[in-house]
Amino acid sequence: MNRIAMLGGLIAGLGFFFLPTLALKPNRLAPGTSFNLFEFQGDDRYLVLFVLALLPILLSFRHDVESRGWLLVGTGSLLFVLTLVLPAGAGRLLLETPEAFLDGGAFIRNPRILPAGAIATGLLGAYVTLFAGVRDLAKVEVQTWLQALATWLAPIVTLLLLLNGTFDVYSIMVEFYANGAALEQKFVEHLMFVFISLGVGFVVGVGLGLWASRDERLAPIILYAVGIIQTIPSLALFGVLLVPLARLGDQSFLATAGFFGIALVVAVALAGSYALLADREPGRVRIVHLIATAIGAAVPLALFVGVLVSFVFRLANVGFTSGAYGDTTGTILVLLLAALATWGVGRWFVPDESRWRRGLKVANWSLSAATAVAVVVLFVQASGSNRVLGGVESLSALTIRDLGVSGIGVAPALIALTLYSLLPLVRNTYAGLNNVDLAIIDSGRGMGMTPSQRFFQIELPLAFPVIMAGVRNAGVALVGIGTVATVIGAGGLGDFVIQGIVNTSIDQILLGAIPAIALALVLDAVLRGVEGLLTSPGIRQVQQ
Amino acid sequence: MIEFQNVVKRFPDGFTAVKGLNLTVHDGEITVFIGPSGCGKTTSMRMVNRLLSITEGKILVEGRDNRDFPAEELRRKIGYAIQQIGLFPHFTVLDNIAVVPRMLGWEESRIRKRVDELLDLVGLDPDINRDKYPRQLSGGQQQRVGVARALGADPPIMLMDEPFGAIDPITREVLQEEFLAIQQEIGKTIIFVTHDIDEAIKMGDRIAILRDGALEQYDTPDNILAHPKDRFVRDFVGSDRSLKRLGLVRVSELMDPESKPLVRMRDSTDKARQVIEEHKVRSAFVVDDEGVLKGWVDLDGIRHAPNSLIDAMMEADFHEIGVRKGNTAREALSAMVARGFRITPVVDKNGRLVGSITLKALQDLAEQEWSEEEATAS
Ligand SMILES: Nc1ncnc2c1ncn2[C@@H]1O[C@H](COP(=O)(O)OP(=O)(O)OP(=O)(O)O)[C@@H](O)[C@H]1O
Ligand SMILES: [Mg+2]
Repeated sequence: MNRIAMLGGLIAGLGFFFLPTLALKPNRLAPGTSFNLFEFQGDDRYLVLFVLALLPILLSFRHDVESRGWLLVGTGSLLFVLTLVLPAGAGRLLLETPEAFLDGGAFIRNPRILPAGAIATGLLGAYVTLFAGVRDLAKVEVQTWLQALATWLAPIVTLLLLLNGTFDVYSIMVEFYANGAALEQKFVEHLMFVFISLGVGFVVGVGLGLWASRDERLAPIILYAVGIIQTIPSLALFGVLLVPLARLGDQSFLATAGFFGIALVVAVALAGSYALLADREPGRVRIVHLIATAIGAAVPLALFVGVLVSFVFRLANVGFTSGAYGDTTGTILVLLLAALATWGVGRWFVPDESRWRRGLKVANWSLSAATAVAVVVLFVQASGSNRVLGGVESLSALTIRDLGVSGIGVAPALIALTLYSLLPLVRNTYAGLNNVDLAIIDSGRGMGMTPSQRFFQIELPLAFPVIMAGVRNAGVALVGIGTVATVIGAGGLGDFVIQGIVNTSIDQILLGAIPAIALALVLDAVLRGVEGLLTSPGIRQVQQ
Repeated sequence: MIEFQNVVKRFPDGFTAVKGLNLTVHDGEITVFIGPSGCGKTTSMRMVNRLLSITEGKILVEGRDNRDFPAEELRRKIGYAIQQIGLFPHFTVLDNIAVVPRMLGWEESRIRKRVDELLDLVGLDPDINRDKYPRQLSGGQQQRVGVARALGADPPIMLMDEPFGAIDPITREVLQEEFLAIQQEIGKTIIFVTHDIDEAIKMGDRIAILRDGALEQYDTPDNILAHPKDRFVRDFVGSDRSLKRLGLVRVSELMDPESKPLVRMRDSTDKARQVIEEHKVRSAFVVDDEGVLKGWVDLDGIRHAPNSLIDAMMEADFHEIGVRKGNTAREALSAMVARGFRITPVVDKNGRLVGSITLKALQDLAEQEWSEEEATAS
């Protein structure tokens, strides 16, 4: 028996039975009137939904696992799509003569159709059913690509219907058409938040994790420090950064560069003295020395990375979203795809000994290099734009703010997000590297592998899935926390959410939330895919 | 040649695991390290390829202090099969075995050939196992891949830490035989750690018995069995050491090629009686015209059927009653005990009688050992 399928059927069925399916609002603000599935007289097509919801319950008693799996996948997919399609039809009916369905006194202007509770439970039930089916298929070891197809069929069909305009009747789509251009921009902004902070967080976090795994006295300090960051509420962290960054923004570039130079000298001095003296110091002095070294290194590093990231973000923002450099961005995209393609083909489709292997490798390297060059070109183009360094006359007049750093806006958001990404990255890198079986490293040593060969050929590949799990955690969390960045004027999808809250407009909230959810899911799926492709089958987790 | 000179290993916690080891591992020989758990076998071995530093003394490898070699270079020419196997789980069997050859920059085609050869050698079908990952192999199969990996780049020196520990007795015996056969050809210098005294006797050209980080006795298996230095060694090799020693001696060394109490199948029973009395044995072997062993005849049988030798004889398959030259004296003894013979026929592979071996000869061997021991004791 498949209990999960039964649960899915129950969720969907009870939802359709007890919850309203649609709400009809006479105008944008007024509360609406709800309709149950059974209240659309004259059209019994909707009963199909009810029947479909009951089907998984019956199917769950089937014994043959494979056919049960396929039937559940079919039912779940159909239920998923129809839960959205059929009420849309009903919605159109309601919109034709809204007066007939509303109280006499309602002020009808641009009436709207809101999907209501039963659609949510319907989708949930459908998804649970689908999941139950895919699990059955996994159990009888149906080929993975068929499993993937089964999982993604319904969402893809839904997406196609969405593009086709089938769901235009729902109010969120109305909102989308009204805000389409803004949505695209906010989405790109959001994407850049996530990517830049994840990228920087990755370098710093993996670096720290690596450091922690090499030095067991240091490990608790590093892990504790990044742990503490995680406990600060995101809103507070954004706020806390406001003042120092505002101050920093006021500084002139040259003064800051001077400070940076001094900090760097101090850091190098501390690190040097630590390297020379540490072995001769008693334990406690040594730890203090170490922490001082770490802080000494952190100051110039944070300054450099902070300013650099802010500036790069500004360049990227102008370069990618202003639309002024369409040719360059297009070139970048094409080069990137070509580089990925040559890499993928070389890795999976060309046997080791083939002569083509080398050719593809060369092609891959040159395409990657060309991509990097194109990005630089884009940035150079963008830095010529008024929006980047507009109006700055001379180097001495240049302030840090001109480079994109200020108390509000993107810089503090990126810094906060980067800090939040650290915990999962550091912890997983540390755990991944620390849990590599010592006997394996030892046999590598015994065979005469150098430390770097051991690291790149043994430790890193073995820790890779764990590190990637950290990257996924961080990425998904960043998509969510990123929506809070709007409160310090950083933009992103959070803008819609806040506006929606202010206007008590659910549609607007959803307009921000749904793309964020989709982004998180897609990011997770893509990173899983990358992880799967790059992890040796010898250590890949067997799918349960 | 590997030479331990007053080697001491003290761990950072102050524990001294090896206390002044002096020992020479000769070229082309298998030297077995054996001793109770924790006696320092692994520790001693790991100082050879510098996985552990030497506290005092030195180890010469090919006549040079092993600290004169760059560590990685040293390790690449010393094959090492570690006790915990330690295969790389993310590498296929092929990639695991290819690690050292690749570091040495071998051609890919040569590597593939070598890997197949090694897999054959350790009794794994290359076509089935080449592309498997370690987790798809049983513990014993993994261990064999570990041995193949240590042999990978054909290193002149091998360190093998209980390489056959996780393998069932039958397969282990096969692997031991095969390994010895290869060793005959390739003549590597090997340090071989084991817990199993039978394995040590079988595999070792020399055996080093270690106890609490010191060398207790270092000698050939035969000498160790014949003359255990003290109570510890005697207990360690076990109370059945005479029997074990018989395991070291081949039938060919003890058999008498002349003494053949044999009759042909077409001879008369009188002839048979005559042969039995002449050789002072209980029974004579019966062969056919080609000299192939067909069975035996004794006086009882002749009394029952005095007229026909064929009726009087006990027929038997030569595989069952005969031993071969290559068998150990221990196996010959076992055959005698099983049949109640004082003499057992030695046959060639076609069953032709080539000689015999007597219980007396086996006893003499043991006696010689005791008398020698008394001589050394007094
Ligand atoms: N890193 C270490 N620090 C301190 N003591 C150690 C260390 N490694 C090994 N020892 C000790 O040294 C002794 C010898 O260890 P070793 O591993 O050489 O034993 P072994 O003879 O190989 O035993 P086994 O047959 O169980 O493998 C043991 O008593 C062990 O506890
Ligand atoms: Mg050991």
